[in-house]
Amino acid sequence: MRALIIDDEDLARAVVREHLAAHPEVEVVGECANGFEALKAVAQHQPDLIFLDIQMPKLDGFEVLELLEAEGKRPAVVFVTAYDQHALRAFEAHAVDYLLKPFSKERFDAALAKAHALQAAKPTVPPPPATELAAAARQGKPLERIVVKDGPKVTVIHLDRLDWVQAQDDYVLLRTEGRNLLKQQTLASLETQLDPSRFIRIHRSYILNLDRLVRVEQDSKEHRDAILRDGTRLPVSRAGYQRLRELWEGA
Amino acid sequence: MHPLLASRARLGAYLLGWVPIALLLTGIARSQGWSWAEAGILALPLCLLAAFLFLSAWFLCRALPLGRRVETLGSHGAAWGLAAVLMGGIWAGLAWLLARALAWIPGLGGLPRRVDIALPVLTGLGILLYLASVALSYLMLAQDRAVEAERRGAELQLLAQESELKALRAQLNPHFLFNSLNSLSALTAVDPARAREMCVLLSDFLRRSLGLGERRLVALREELDLARAYLAIEQIRFGARLKLDWRIDPAAEPALLPTLLLQPLVENAIKHGIAALPEGGTLVVAAETMEGHVTLRVENPADLEAPTPQGLGLGLRQVRQRLLGRFGNRARFEAGVQNGIHRVTLVFPLETEP
Repeated sequence: MRALIIDDEDLARAVVREHLAAHPEVEVVGECANGFEALKAVAQHQPDLIFLDIQMPKLDGFEVLELLEAEGKRPAVVFVTAYDQHALRAFEAHAVDYLLKPFSKERFDAALAKAHALQAAKPTVPPPPATELAAAARQGKPLERIVVKDGPKVTVIHLDRLDWVQAQDDYVLLRTEGRNLLKQQTLASLETQLDPSRFIRIHRSYILNLDRLVRVEQDSKEHRDAILRDGTRLPVSRAGYQRLRELWEGA
Repeated sequence: MHPLLASRARLGAYLLGWVPIALLLTGIARSQGWSWAEAGILALPLCLLAAFLFLSAWFLCRALPLGRRVETLGSHGAAWGLAAVLMGGIWAGLAWLLARALAWIPGLGGLPRRVDIALPVLTGLGILLYLASVALSYLMLAQDRAVEAERRGAELQLLAQESELKALRAQLNPHFLFNSLNSLSALTAVDPARAREMCVLLSDFLRRSLGLGERRLVALREELDLARAYLAIEQIRFGARLKLDWRIDPAAEPALLPTLLLQPLVENAIKHGIAALPEGGTLVVAAETMEGHVTLRVENPADLEAPTPQGLGLGLRQVRQRLLGRFGNRARFEAGVQNGIHRVTLVFPLETEP
């Protein structure tokens, strides 16, 4: 079994390495100090198992996993984290294992045994998507940023830089700082993760960052347009207009 | 106890307020053809009597507090009117008695007759003066209530500050604690001597932070010691990613400041400046003195890809609030990013333990 250790702290990686030394059947193929290194290392070494820290600079553990999923490479994962344990309790329902720092040898061995069993069983049920795990760990707090694989490059979009989102079949088109980025996700699933007081579904195919809206214009009896700060016009459906009005009246 | 009787200064001011009324009374009597002797000898004792008699209005007013509702005005008004007529009558009666008591003095034989004629005027005046006393009493009661409210407000504020401090003390960052213990767990195998060193550092930090929370004000020296203990631990965790630069003017060390003001700044610098950057950077803690003021500065490299924060986070907001709460407009708080460096600056007066 090939394993990769991903943590931004040297000593934290050292603990995992030390525990793995007692398991000669596991080969450590690499260590990574951040998410970008991890993406490269997974592509290079094709590990069966990754030990993944959650809080890391630039890309967090969930984002790393999400990007690996998007490439169709998803090794077995053991999260290793000092994260709040209440936040991770939801993971148990998803059959995803995690180690809370600091952890015992017994706990580590159990997590490894579980990973082995999972590998041997070749489960038919796909593992839960990383976005779902991240949402569970956020405990109801809305998303703050979105990661997109843009060719070989990874872009992190902070949500106050996201203007609007358009549905395109199984993809969403994200408009940010004058660029269009495509991400494989449905508009409906993205909508559930966004802060409903900042992002409004103004149309079947559009979600708008409310901060960009200047006014709504009525063209004809049944047709309205949202006018944005940069002059862009986006269609507003009747239901979308209703949602906007509720927000205005509630404010 | 009546508030005017409780303090000699207040009573003096009150009685002084009666002097013009006594003069007015004398003037009125003179205009009715009374002699100076007749007017003076009656007006002075009458005013003195009234001064004490009408103090009773305060007890009435206290029993009948002015509500917000207009309906109470009817019943209250009836009570005031009744009391005023009663007191006016008593006062006029006293004048009648006084005139007869003074009539034996040579030259004042006509006093009883003059007073008999003036009785309706005296009664009316008594009523007016009593009503004025009612108004004055309500003013005093309102003022007392305002003072009381202010005192209770200050007390509540003090309580809130104390509980906030308690919360701060309890707010020991769990993420820091567990990550440190994890580092410790790693060190026990690879470097037992450093593991022991880290145990000591961690204990030192915990002991200091628990001890500091007991006090409201603390010397900068102690805040710096706490930050040093904390950063020594983070140094082990982050290794080469964390570089420390201390620029401390020893003259600033005895300066007093609210407890646990520096710690949130240093924790913020680690969280957003070092932990958020793969390559880490230099954390600067600087304290300078100039013209009777201390300038305390914490700097860290900013993550330029992260969005500029809208306003201050909770931690910085609390620091600013507590700094300004202690020093008011004699202190200054600044925070912002410039040339890729996030900088928080506190300026406050250099005050030391007496």
